[in-house]
Amino acid sequence: MKTGGHEMARLELRNVVKSYGAVDVIKGVDLQVNHGEFCVFVGPSGCGKSTLLRMIAGLEPITGGEIAIGEEVVNHIPAADRGLAMVFQSYALYPHMTVRQNLSFGLENINTPRAEIATKVGEVAKMLQIDMLLDRRPKDLSGGQRQRVAIGRAVVREPRVFLFDEPLSNLDAELRVDMRGEISALHKRLGNTMIYVTHDQVEAMTMADKIAVLRLGELEQFGRPLDLYNAPENLFVAGFIGSPKMNFLTGIVGEDRTHLTLDTGDAITLPETGFAQRSGQKVTLGLRPNDLHPDGNGALHAEIRSVEQLGSESYLYGHFADGTPLTVHNPGQTRLQTGDRVTLTANAEAIHLFDTETTRSLRM
Amino acid sequence: MLAIISPLMRIVEIPMLALQRLLGMNRLAWVFLAPNLILFGLFAFLPVILNVAYATTGGSNVLLADRPDVGLRNFATLTDCGSVLDPNSCREDKFWRAVWNTTWFVTLQVGFMVGFALLTAIILNRDIRARGFFRAVFFFPVLLSPVVVALIWKWILQREGVLNAFLDWAGPGGFNWLVDANWAFTWSVFISVWAHMGFYTLILLAGLQAIPRDVYEAATMDRASPWRAFRKITLPLLAPTMLVVLVLALIKGVQTFDEIYAFTGGGPGTATTFIIQYIYEEGFAGAPRLFGLAAAASLMVAFVLVILTLIQLWVNRRNVDG
Repeated sequence: MKTGGHEMARLELRNVVKSYGAVDVIKGVDLQVNHGEFCVFVGPSGCGKSTLLRMIAGLEPITGGEIAIGEEVVNHIPAADRGLAMVFQSYALYPHMTVRQNLSFGLENINTPRAEIATKVGEVAKMLQIDMLLDRRPKDLSGGQRQRVAIGRAVVREPRVFLFDEPLSNLDAELRVDMRGEISALHKRLGNTMIYVTHDQVEAMTMADKIAVLRLGELEQFGRPLDLYNAPENLFVAGFIGSPKMNFLTGIVGEDRTHLTLDTGDAITLPETGFAQRSGQKVTLGLRPNDLHPDGNGALHAEIRSVEQLGSESYLYGHFADGTPLTVHNPGQTRLQTGDRVTLTANAEAIHLFDTETTRSLRM
Repeated sequence: MLAIISPLMRIVEIPMLALQRLLGMNRLAWVFLAPNLILFGLFAFLPVILNVAYATTGGSNVLLADRPDVGLRNFATLTDCGSVLDPNSCREDKFWRAVWNTTWFVTLQVGFMVGFALLTAIILNRDIRARGFFRAVFFFPVLLSPVVVALIWKWILQREGVLNAFLDWAGPGGFNWLVDANWAFTWSVFISVWAHMGFYTLILLAGLQAIPRDVYEAATMDRASPWRAFRKITLPLLAPTMLVVLVLALIKGVQTFDEIYAFTGGGPGTATTFIIQYIYEEGFAGAPRLFGLAAAASLMVAFVLVILTLIQLWVNRRNVDG
């Protein structure tokens, strides 16, 4: 299956703004998605990720800034003429049409010859394994099958850029994992630029070449998944990316800049280089659950409140002396039990440090 | 509330338990059903039986005992025609004039009404200014009594009416709208559409709003023009609602009587006499009162309405299942 993806389709957002009356929902987003990249917009509900996607699609007019696809600014180009295809959260299949008609509709609209439509629909249906469903209507399909048809409808039109608006949110957990893999495989196969919206950071981490983390209409960080995981630029990204969530402990940096007295009453030694902390500065220490080890030797003290044994791994949930919650990921099984008091060691090279006031990372 | 009901329930409980012991559980169910069955029997079932009884008897006596049995002669009188297409060749020519008037009226009224209702619903479904106000404006005539509708339009269209006053002032001069058979019929269709369109607009508006917005967005992304989206998305998805509207409008159209009777009195001549008016006049207004003929005609109308109702039930069931 050849696609229009061979046409260079770099997507660029330049200070894109969206307002409804006096309310700004997108507050000046700048980002650049290179041709063939899989970019995921991720963020909590109401962060503006779907609005941003709809603005790229042309379904929502933009208030300010520029959206460019390839070399062309598309602000005033109607959705139909932008050369994009979109997979909707609800699938938005045409309920009265068969799967074949759903797939053909877009091609018929641009007066594609019948024989060519039949060939393309056949190819896409085969690729997505829906060729046996072509004469059924959407109501006769399962959620996963509908999802494939929705993707097929996008693929068959050979767009420059694919847009996915939370396409897996209506599927059950198992099917979601399967479809995640299939969409990634589809991206590798077609090589098109794809923009994918989700609130699920696991989806973002597993599928994306680049992730854009959004909050309250602002771009918090944009980069490769592991860059976001390893070097989050602020507390929000640190807390949002990674599952389970990062542990946060507040404290004050000592005179020597390496001594950190935590509000829990514990104290730890910070690396001498790598962070731009000042003495006396109020900071937030970030520790991922898998970078904490309840080995009885460390400087952090906590009490276990519950234990989840999953066989190959286990999770400990508890709190520090000041009530700050704690999550520890333990590879393998654990003998620790609810009510146990534990002493934890933190991986010194894996710590994250943020200015508590600005929430910005202090990493240099 | 419960404090009041509980003691009352206890009072009823004792005789009910006694009745249950006396009749048994199954027979007691009939006691509960009896009020509804009596009302239904008295006001729905009995009139149907009486209608059949009157249709198969002759004369002008009201009491059935005084009416001679004539079998199907009333139906034969109604259908005694050289050609039903030519009322003049029929023994009961007024009946066939009313039948054809009703047929034409229903065809035109339903056609225009559903067309305009659809157009109005589409406009009112768009994000237009003062949408709420316009929705109310289009629905308002539905709230009027048929007689009020008739009087308003009579006031506008009579020889000394508002329309003629305007035409006299504007230049072309007035016209005796309700004396000319074609104009009287045309205006009858018009005011009927005006009076009832709002109701169907409302149903179609609900149907339009039930079409998910993202289906249209998908069509936009699929490069469908607005006209193609209307033809390929709106019309097919609105078809079940359209069918309901069509059948309802047909049923209401066949039953048309009061507003046109108050508007034209069925004239000029028989130009706007419809089938229900014929039944009314044969049975209750003429002399002698031919109850048998009226009952036979109303059974024929009922037959048509039952067919239309069955179609509507079938459509509804298909929509629910679909």
